[in-house]
Formats: sequence, C-alpha cells, structure tokens
Amino acid sequence: MSLALHVRDLEVHAPNGRVLVRARQLDVAPGETVGLRGPSGAGKSSLLYALAGLQARMSGAVVWGDTDLTPLNDHTRARFRRQYMGMIFQDFLLFEELGALNNASLAAAFGAPAERHQIRHTARTLLQRLGLTDLGRTVESFSGGERQRVAVARALSNNPKVILADEPTASLDRAAADTLIADLTRMARDEGRTLVVVSHDDSLLSQLDRVLQVVDGELKQETRHV
Amino acid sequence: MFETMADLWQALPPTFQDTLWLLALLAPTFIVGGMVCKGYRPFGLIGALLWRYRWTNLVFILLIAVSVGIGVGLIAQERGLRKGSARAAEKFDLIVAAPGSEITMLFASVYLRPSDVPLLDATRFQNVASNPRVDMAAPIAFGDSYAGAPVVGTTAEFISHLAGNLVEGRLFQTSTEAVAGAAVSLPLGSQFSPDHGVGDGAEHGAHDGHVNTIVGRMPPTGSPWDKAILVPVEGVWEVHGLPNGHPPHASDRLGPPFDPEFFPGTPAVLVRAQELWSNYALRSEFTRDDMMAFFPGAVLAQLHSVMGDIRQVMSVMAVLTQVLVTAGVLTGLIVLTRLFSRRLALLRALGAPRRFVFSVVWGYAATLIATGSLAGLMVGWVAVGQISRIVSQRTDILVNAQLGWAELHLVAGFVSLTVVLALLPAFLAMSRNVLADLRA
Repeated sequence: MSLALHVRDLEVHAPNGRVLVRARQLDVAPGETVGLRGPSGAGKSSLLYALAGLQARMSGAVVWGDTDLTPLNDHTRARFRRQYMGMIFQDFLLFEELGALNNASLAAAFGAPAERHQIRHTARTLLQRLGLTDLGRTVESFSGGERQRVAVARALSNNPKVILADEPTASLDRAAADTLIADLTRMARDEGRTLVVVSHDDSLLSQLDRVLQVVDGELKQETRHV
Repeated sequence: MFETMADLWQALPPTFQDTLWLLALLAPTFIVGGMVCKGYRPFGLIGALLWRYRWTNLVFILLIAVSVGIGVGLIAQERGLRKGSARAAEKFDLIVAAPGSEITMLFASVYLRPSDVPLLDATRFQNVASNPRVDMAAPIAFGDSYAGAPVVGTTAEFISHLAGNLVEGRLFQTSTEAVAGAAVSLPLGSQFSPDHGVGDGAEHGAHDGHVNTIVGRMPPTGSPWDKAILVPVEGVWEVHGLPNGHPPHASDRLGPPFDPEFFPGTPAVLVRAQELWSNYALRSEFTRDDMMAFFPGAVLAQLHSVMGDIRQVMSVMAVLTQVLVTAGVLTGLIVLTRLFSRRLALLRALGAPRRFVFSVVWGYAATLIATGSLAGLMVGWVAVGQISRIVSQRTDILVNAQLGWAELHLVAGFVSLTVVLALLPAFLAMSRNVLADLRA
C-alpha cells in the first residue's frame, strides 16, 4: 500500500543556478510519517516539491519505490503523482465555485474513465468520515477547517500511497488544526501511507514518527519521536 | 448516375446544401474540441471559472455578440434592401423617357425621388403608344405633392397594373378624383389641393383652385407608391394650365388614346409589351438620340452589382472586425488566465496532464466565443428587424430583412476560426511554470 523513499545527493536549483536546497541522503520507510521543519526560507517547501517531482531543475535521485523521479519528464512525473501521491497545501487551493464533493473528486475530471466512479465514491466516503455532510454546497461558504478537510479528502480520493503536505495547519485556528492533525495522521497510519509534512506546528510534528531539520538550504539532523 | 461530384452537389436540395456547408464550417470546432477534450471531463471546472469571473466573462461575451451582431446585421440588411428595391421595381417593365440619366429616371419614376427631368414630347410619346407591340403606355407625371406625399399623374390602367384591385373605393373617373396609396392617411372623400413641387421647396397654395377628392385606395405594394396619391395625368396637366391631352370636345375623357396635338409632355412613360420577349425589341427601338428606354430591373441589377462588390468588402470587413474583437478578447483571456493560474498549477500538482489544463482553458475560451456568437445572432436578428423598420420608413421601400443561411455560415466560419485562435491562450496557460504559480 505504501512506498519507501530514498533520496541521494539531491540538489534543487533556482533558474540562476543557485542551490535552493540540498539533501545528501534521506530514507523514509513505507508507511512512515516524517516532518520537515526549519526557519522560513530554509528550503523546506522546495524540498517537498522536489519530492513531488514538481521541481524543474534538480539533480541527484528521488526514488519512490523503484521509480526515480529525477530523470523523468514532466508528463511522466505528473502521471506518477496522479497514481501514487496526494498533496495538501497551506491555503487549501479549492475551486470556490464547486461543491465539496466536486472539489474532493477533482482527480476524476482528468483520471482514467474507469477510475472516475471509484474516485467520486472514495471522495464521498472520505468527506463523510471527516464529518462533512452537505457535499453539494459550494466551498466558498465553508470555514477554514472545513475547507482543509475537503483538501484532505481531495488528496486521498485517488487512494495514494504517499501524502505530501505543505503547512496544512498554518491557516487554521488551534481547534481546527488539532482536528486536522488527528484526521491526517489517522488516515495516513490506518492505510499505511507514507506521509511527509512541512510544518512549523509542534502539535502536528509531535504526532509524526520523525522530524527532519532543514537549515540554510540543507537537510540536517533528525529527531525521533518513537 | 452522377458523373461528377459537382453534379451530385447540384442535385442536392438547397437547404441540404446549406446545412452541409454549415456543418463543414463548424467541423473544425468539433474536431478541435474533440481532440482537445478527448478522455477528459473539464466541463465542471470550465463552469466554475465562468462563474467565478462572470462579469468579466459577460463583457467578453457582449463584445463578441455586438461585433457578430453588427456583422450579420449589416449583411442581412444589405440583402433585404436589395430584395426590397427589386420587389418595388418589378412592376416597371420598361421606362421610356427623354435622354438623360437612367439612374436619375429610375429613382424619379420607380422610387418617386424628387428630380428635375426633361419631358418626353407628344411626337415621341405617340411613337411609343402607337407601337403595335405596346400593350400599355402610361404617362407618369410627377412633381407635385400634398402633405409630403407625392402626387403623381397617370392612368387608371397603370394603377390596376401596379396594385391590382383596390382595397377601398374605386378608380378615378374625373380629372379631380384621386386614388390614395395604402400608407396615405387621407380617408376616402378627403379633399386636397396639391402643392407645386415636392419637399421643402414645394409651393403651398400654388394649385388652390384645383381640388382633388380621394375616391379609392390601393393595397400595399411595398414600394414608395404606397405613400403616393395618384391622380389622372389629365388633372396634372390641367392644374398647370396645360392642355389635358384630349381635344376640347373630349376634354372630359380620361386615359388613352391621347391626342398628340393636345399632349403637353410627360417625364416618363411606363411601357408594358404585349409579349414578354417584345420588351427587348421595344427597348432597342426606343433607344434613340431623342429618347431613352431602359429596364429598371437591369439598371437596378447594375447598381446591385456595385453594391455586391461593396457587400463582399463589407463581409470581409465584418469578419475582420469580428476576428479583431475576438483577438482582443483572447488577449484579455491570456491576462485573465493569470488570475486563475494558481488553480491551473494545482491541477498539475495533483497530477493532471498538461492537455487537461489545455482543455480547461481552451474550453473556457471556446464557451465564451460560442456563447458570444449565439448572442450575436440574436443581436443581429433584433438589429435587422429594427434597421429594416427604419429603412422602410426612410425610403418607403418595404425592407423585410431576415437572417439567413449566409449569416449562419458567416458565424460558423467565425466560430471555427476563433476557436482555433483560442488554442493560443490555452497553449500559453499550459506552458506556465507550475511551481512558480503554485507558490505565487
């Protein structure tokens, strides 16, 4: 159900050639939950997006399972994300004019025809598990917590093996953040999904198996909670 | 059965041909749309984007609609005016007049536009009227008016030829009786004294001693004659102090034959031949140094030929204007796509193929274009009706312009051309830096 991650000699470059972030070695076991923390501008999100295959200029190796994303072209990386990854963002990035279900099942719009029904079914089930009932209501009327739950359902609707989250609690109040942390870690662990989270939120990070530091564009030490 | 494709095409009913043309012109739209959207369901997202920027989108749609509406409206109107002017002239088989400008005489005699023209004298009129091939030679004497309506002297036979049976009353039987056109507001029994001249220069009271009485009304003809008052030509001559075409002992007589000795002259003569083919012989016969003869339809066809060239230029200009407006709208769309570039980047981050993003942006643009074009047809339809009404009022020619296949073909071609152009903003949106947009 989950994928291991092996990063070797990863360097992400800016268009001017400057190194944005460097990670000499990173190994994440299948189903492991890992946090990335560090000062603002240290390169956490750049590293996360490199793990997602969204960085155009990167060298080294980012191997999920037995697939190295680095040499793949844009199209193949997108297909990998579509098949194996779910992504969550700080400010939700929902289509405000669509309902909760249509947002959560966004992948059905571009997924294979045979998968569309399953994606919508999964999205509906996830939204209900996350406590959202009015699935047709447009999300523009939702609270921050509700929006992020829709975003979580969207990330999981294609039943991914990996979840990548960028500051998922940053736009939420404490109560909503705690609910989200509980939901996210539960859904990752219940299905044995590998979870990599960029966050400053200690409550969130304390729930993860490991926390790695990114400082001055370099992946540094690690803290084990378990 | 059919030797060539051209034969097969010609054998098809016109409506079928037009339908096939329409489908052929729309084919690029469906082919591009099918290729771009194949395998995806971008419609929900397109709807979301349309709704999110609904006011901006509405402006884009209105811009396209107005440009399309003006284009199709002008072209339909030109066709309607051409048909209306031809219909107004169809009862005028052959006009004979003193030498001069055929176009001036056409406008004066068929469309009753005020004009100073020389008179055809008695000898020449006699030449025309006595020709054995001539079935009817009706003098048309214009130059007077009443309350803005032209007062035209002619014969009862001409009225029957022009309008058929009267809808009210009877034909005139004395030189002081008159038949009103369908649009003249004077009721039967009304009396009037014509002014000398037409329009602002008309001399009021010049013919006060001569009173005409309306005794009949013509049905509508869709021509300027609907606003005319027709009187016996003898009355026109009398009111100007001229002999009335008949000798003193028969001065009460109306209509032909006229006595050349008492025939004062007439600006124009409408000639109807006994046989249709004779018209051509009569035209040749009456085209001389001292006389001219012409088919109003032929002169009109020459005018339409010039108008046809103008129409082609107008059509090209209309299409160019529409394409330019759409190019402006598409440029606006390129700017607008930046507003939702984060959401497009999100789609890519979630693993959407580039072609899906392409299909969303193209579908969005194509929806605006198609909606604007359909709205443009509606605008054109309304504009054509309104402009027809105004032109009919101004020219007195019944213009009943309607949108037809030509306009549908024009719009279909426009849609296909512009949806192909819409590939450009879609391509630009697809090529944007995903991560830069995502983190913007």
